[in-house]
Amino acid sequence: MTFSWKRIYAIFNKDMKDLSKNYFVSSIIVLPILMAFLYGGMYEMGLELHYMIINLTLASVTAFIQCAVIAEEKEKHTLRGLMLSPASLTEILTGKSLVSIVLTVVTLILCAMITGYEPRNFALIAIAIFISIIFYIALGTILGLLSRTVVEASVIILPVIFLFGFGSLLMVLAEKYPAISFVEYLPNIQIIELAYEVELGLGFVDMWDHFVVLLVWALVASLFAAFVYKKREIDK
Amino acid sequence: MIQVEVLSIQNLERQEKDALLFPAFDLKVYSGEIIAIHSNLNIRMALLQMFLGKAPLGKGEILVKGEKLDKNSHFSSFHIGISFFEQAVYHRLSVKDNLKFFSQVYSSSQSIEEVLNLTQLNPYKNSPVQKLSFSEKRRVHFAKILIENPILYIFEEPDLNVDLETKRVFLNVLEYLAEQGKAVLILTGNMESAITMSKSVYRLNDEGIHLVEIKDESASTVEEEETVPEDEKTTMTVNINKIPTKVNDKIILFDPPEIDYIESNDGQSNVFIKGEAFPSTFTMNELEERLMPFGFFRCHRSYIVNLQKVREVITWTRNSFSLVLDDAKKSTIPLSKTKMAQLKEMLGLK
Repeated sequence: MTFSWKRIYAIFNKDMKDLSKNYFVSSIIVLPILMAFLYGGMYEMGLELHYMIINLTLASVTAFIQCAVIAEEKEKHTLRGLMLSPASLTEILTGKSLVSIVLTVVTLILCAMITGYEPRNFALIAIAIFISIIFYIALGTILGLLSRTVVEASVIILPVIFLFGFGSLLMVLAEKYPAISFVEYLPNIQIIELAYEVELGLGFVDMWDHFVVLLVWALVASLFAAFVYKKREIDK
Repeated sequence: MIQVEVLSIQNLERQEKDALLFPAFDLKVYSGEIIAIHSNLNIRMALLQMFLGKAPLGKGEILVKGEKLDKNSHFSSFHIGISFFEQAVYHRLSVKDNLKFFSQVYSSSQSIEEVLNLTQLNPYKNSPVQKLSFSEKRRVHFAKILIENPILYIFEEPDLNVDLETKRVFLNVLEYLAEQGKAVLILTGNMESAITMSKSVYRLNDEGIHLVEIKDESASTVEEEETVPEDEKTTMTVNINKIPTKVNDKIILFDPPEIDYIESNDGQSNVFIKGEAFPSTFTMNELEERLMPFGFFRCHRSYIVNLQKVREVITWTRNSFSLVLDDAKKSTIPLSKTKMAQLKEMLGLK
């Protein structure tokens, strides 16, 4: 089986068109943008708030859209038809991941424009966000493969949105209860700490530890996604 | 056109739990050939599962173009297209976007315009599939498999519950596929549609596979064994016009005008009244003789129809016709070519 970019593009194109008509899923984009307007108008934006919106975008837009588009193909039984076609599951998932990535990047740029976030070192932040996107895509893929319907997907994604989207609140708790101090290793917290260091004008050498933690998260999630995917493939 | 063997089923059998679904059978389908298999739902499902590699083939083999179906090779490498009864397409996308997508995924050379014309979907090409009626959706499914452009086409219940226009579209599709030298296998539970769609119809059940005789013979040929016991027959010498049928141990009598049509199934004639079948104790020939004075007509080897109930005579192609009845279900009954001439004569048409 050859890996065909033409088929990936066909799947990307189809899912983009489909999402533009599927308001139940695509309206999730409104959430971070609305938050950006709300906070952007109310407060002097701190780094904490910028990253709350960025993390919310990653958890809701990236993970949820990835999860929902996979779950929908399963719910409507269109995946069965696709599996009989020359397209492989890898191509299908790649096409869908591209959809999530494009929508995430667009939402992030829109939010940053609204809240006026300009990182001191754009390249470093871009790399960190890109690694995070991989983690959230893998997470969405796992949940999408596990859930059977879009409604199930939208329920299963809620804990993810709370944990990663509003995770900054966890840090407050962690200060109170040292027992849960491990939360600082969560990818959403790591990226905030990384952003602080960027604003302090530090270079890559000083913050490589955050990159490593982010990479480990992305890697573990991807491996787990591959595992679930293999298991599903055998089931079929 | 040279006929090439496309599908070869060898020694295929299926046992489900304790029940034998079908014993080992062989079947070959050549290019340009349309074959229908009439069976019940369980057998149809089992066959499809076997094609998909989801059910074990046992000792049997399925070969497409000489290549053995094998779970480890990807399904698409065998160039089989299956049009399921419950086919899934993208409901929010338009007909054309759906076909474009499938065309790209299958790297198809089939022109979308041609397929839209063939399935008569041109007026709906920009509407989302979810806005179409059931019959129109079925046409989208036919369009999808035409886009896939496989060598072997398998249709599951292609004309179940569809309107007449769609049935005609489907028969045109079949004619087109036969011209293109494709092999077609139709799986259906409806004998009438199997006979209309294909010249070679097989019945597959727990007794094996049997070719259904659909060649026309003169009505005088004795074709079925006498099944009526002698004593029952003598009581019939009194001229009763009622038609007796047997349900369990009861005998129910029907007035001929009540009857819509009679269908023969494995030597058993069934009387259809308001969509319900009642097994008759008579053979087709006896029934034909008895019912002739009441305006009944032997329109096919396996069918007798009450002409009073016929609303329409449909010409699908030059050689295939159907009668549409005026009952609630709008039942269609096959009309064979030779009988068509006879019917025209009876109606005083040339």
